[in-house]
Amino acid sequence: METNNRSLSLVELNALVRRSIRTCLPDEYWVQAELSDVRSNYSGHCYLEFVQKDTKSNALVAKARGIIWSNVYQLLKPYFERETGQAFVSGIKVLVKVTVDFHELYGYSLTVVDIDPSYTLGDMVRRRKEILRRLEADGILTMNKELELPELLQRIAVISSATAAGYGDFCNQLAHNAFGFVFYPKLFPAVMQGDQVEISIIAALDKIYASGIDWDAVVIIRGGGATSDLSGFDTYDLAAHCAQFPLPIITGIGHERDDTVLDLISHTRVKTPTAAAEFLINHQRQTAEHLEALALFFAESLPDRIRREKERLERCVSRIPSQVQMRLQRETFRQERLGKRMEMAWQTRLVREQYRLQVEQRLMSAAGRRLEQEQHRLQLLEQRVQAASPEVLLKRGYSLTLKDGKAVTDIAQLQAGDEVETRLAKGTFRSKVL
Amino acid sequence: MAATKETYSEAMKRLEAIVSRIESNELDIDQLGSQLQEAQKLIKFCREKLYKADEEIKKILEEGKTPEEK
Repeated sequence: METNNRSLSLVELNALVRRSIRTCLPDEYWVQAELSDVRSNYSGHCYLEFVQKDTKSNALVAKARGIIWSNVYQLLKPYFERETGQAFVSGIKVLVKVTVDFHELYGYSLTVVDIDPSYTLGDMVRRRKEILRRLEADGILTMNKELELPELLQRIAVISSATAAGYGDFCNQLAHNAFGFVFYPKLFPAVMQGDQVEISIIAALDKIYASGIDWDAVVIIRGGGATSDLSGFDTYDLAAHCAQFPLPIITGIGHERDDTVLDLISHTRVKTPTAAAEFLINHQRQTAEHLEALALFFAESLPDRIRREKERLERCVSRIPSQVQMRLQRETFRQERLGKRMEMAWQTRLVREQYRLQVEQRLMSAAGRRLEQEQHRLQLLEQRVQAASPEVLLKRGYSLTLKDGKAVTDIAQLQAGDEVETRLAKGTFRSKVL
Repeated sequence: MAATKETYSEAMKRLEAIVSRIESNELDIDQLGSQLQEAQKLIKFCREKLYKADEEIKKILEEGKTPEEK
């Protein structure tokens, strides 16, 4: 059959596909995808699935098989985990550099040659921000931070993995603190790695709450492992539980660079279990310093105060005679001063009175002179009045002619036949006008 | 437990109160002696809390252990 002659074997077709892909997609490509079904085998190669989900429905929209060869995986995995604080596991988003391959037997696959951890970090930051935003919207974001640490911080409920070195270090440091403070730590074991972290820590918190013991604080610590999966500490439920827990929570979950959501909502965040122990010791030191400051006040200031009171009293007693003397001197001086002031006042008064007297005298003499002048004037007037009297004129020989009792001074007053009376110094006579 | 915990805070409060009374000259010299005596008792009590392990508390914590821990 012609068709048979033109047909290809499957391996030939697949080889053709392989060559086509090699020709069309010869480069290395950066691809964003989510990891799924990550597993590594005895030889150290890592086999996985890359998937892409619909952002709304979460349904798979693309899928590709992936492989990371052992020589690459040995470097890539620790690098990625160190940089992100995130285990290289299913469910995380990554940016990887791949070559596109096709194998006649195994089919289409992507071979990973490099990874960019900052993409995953960015995605984790976005997720953390989203959780924090939810916690804030629920009004519980800062609840644990608002709790007050008790002055006496001794009864410590510790959430940690019992086997972890971090817990041992923590207890050791507390027990052998340089100040001799007493602590009562008690372990509430929990899984501190992987996807069981959330459930396990919440269960431990419930146990602490139900223990009926009045704990002073909760410490959540994990330590030991170099790189580790911290994604379990970045969940809403764990953060919500811790934020609302009625005791202050101190975290030391051993991640240098990034704060997990749990770190951000806890009352106090330190880096390591030993730093958590250090924090507790330091807190007790402050409490002790406060106490010692008070003790010092009572040991030194108060007796000193009593001594000073006594001294004051003694000083008072010793000062009495001198006080009296001083008072006497002051009184004498005052009297003298008063006397002087009085004398001066008298003198001033005397001068004033003398002056007043002078003024009065001057007034009196002025008045006398005026009286004399007036008397003299009166005398002159009297003389003049007397000189003008008709009797005086009559005596000198003048006479006064009257008609009908009135003095005649003008000839026009008279007519022929008028009878007139003429008055002399001595006597009168009557006559008729011709 | 609650009682002992509060007693420390209460002791501190009492100490502070005595200090402020002395500082504001509310106490006359006759009272100073008795107040000093009380303060010293309170300080001793607080120091013991800080530095001396309380067997009773230890025992209570032991009893609080869950069966699988024992």
